[in-house]
Amino acid sequence: MTGSERELISGAARGDLESFRRLVQEHSDLVYRVALRIVGRESAQDASQEVWVRVWRNIKAFRGDSAFSTWLYKITVNTCLNAKKQEAQRALREYSAEVPYLPEPSGTDADPESLTLGAERREELLRALDHVRAEHRAAVVLRHMEDLPYAEIAEILDVPDGTAKVWASRGRAALLVALSNQEADSRDDNGSRP
Amino acid sequence: MTREEERWAVLETIGAYAAGELDGEEARAAERLMLERPDHRRLAESYTRMLVMLTALGDEPVEAPDAIIGYAVRRAYTSAFLRQAENVFADLGRSYLDAFVYYLGLRTPAQPG
Repeated sequence: MTGSERELISGAARGDLESFRRLVQEHSDLVYRVALRIVGRESAQDASQEVWVRVWRNIKAFRGDSAFSTWLYKITVNTCLNAKKQEAQRALREYSAEVPYLPEPSGTDADPESLTLGAERREELLRALDHVRAEHRAAVVLRHMEDLPYAEIAEILDVPDGTAKVWASRGRAALLVALSNQEADSRDDNGSRP
Repeated sequence: MTREEERWAVLETIGAYAAGELDGEEARAAERLMLERPDHRRLAESYTRMLVMLTALGDEPVEAPDAIIGYAVRRAYTSAFLRQAENVFADLGRSYLDAFVYYLGLRTPAQPG
């Protein structure tokens, strides 16, 4: 945590609105990015706004035991998981006896060096993420998109390290099955066209 | 373990291997699974592709809409205003009560010194 960030946090905790505004400005991309990937485009803005309301209400309770970003991730993920509570009991999606397979992408997506996603591929991935149980999705997002270590993911999700690993592992598997099913569905659609 | 659970276990083991999260005996076991069956090798390749896609998506810059910042700051202003108004009214109420108590002669003013 930088000195200026610490000043902004203690200013916001004292009720200084300018400090809070600057904190929101500096971190709103992080909050929105994570919300976007956990709850999807339709709900990301509402979830982000709710996060900042919670931050303002609870910033006095932030003691600096962890990084501010970890605390912020925690509030963001909790808010998103609450929004998706009805999905929490979603069972692992069954897959056929066939092992899931994701074919080599075509066009620009095929270039592993460029590491850029085409719009279609991005939509497929976001749609598939929506099939993954909410807490497993959160673990996948934090591990593979936010690139956080498991110790920090465990702290954010408030679970032991082992559970964070299991959730990421189940999330990866469910995501691959969903992507593979989407791929098979689109192949079937193309094949059934006259 | 049912067949379904076994399939999921293989799926997760190969996923963890592709993500570079296995070492020692666990990694060897995953490699054996891949050597035994070509579809397991394809599974590992599929995982690698998916992880590349996830990383690419994670690296894409995302900008929060300005409306979020505006909303958060407005809510904070409103709540700070209400907090101040609450304090003012509470102070005012206390002063009136003190004056009323004094008027009724229930309390004498504090003596200086």
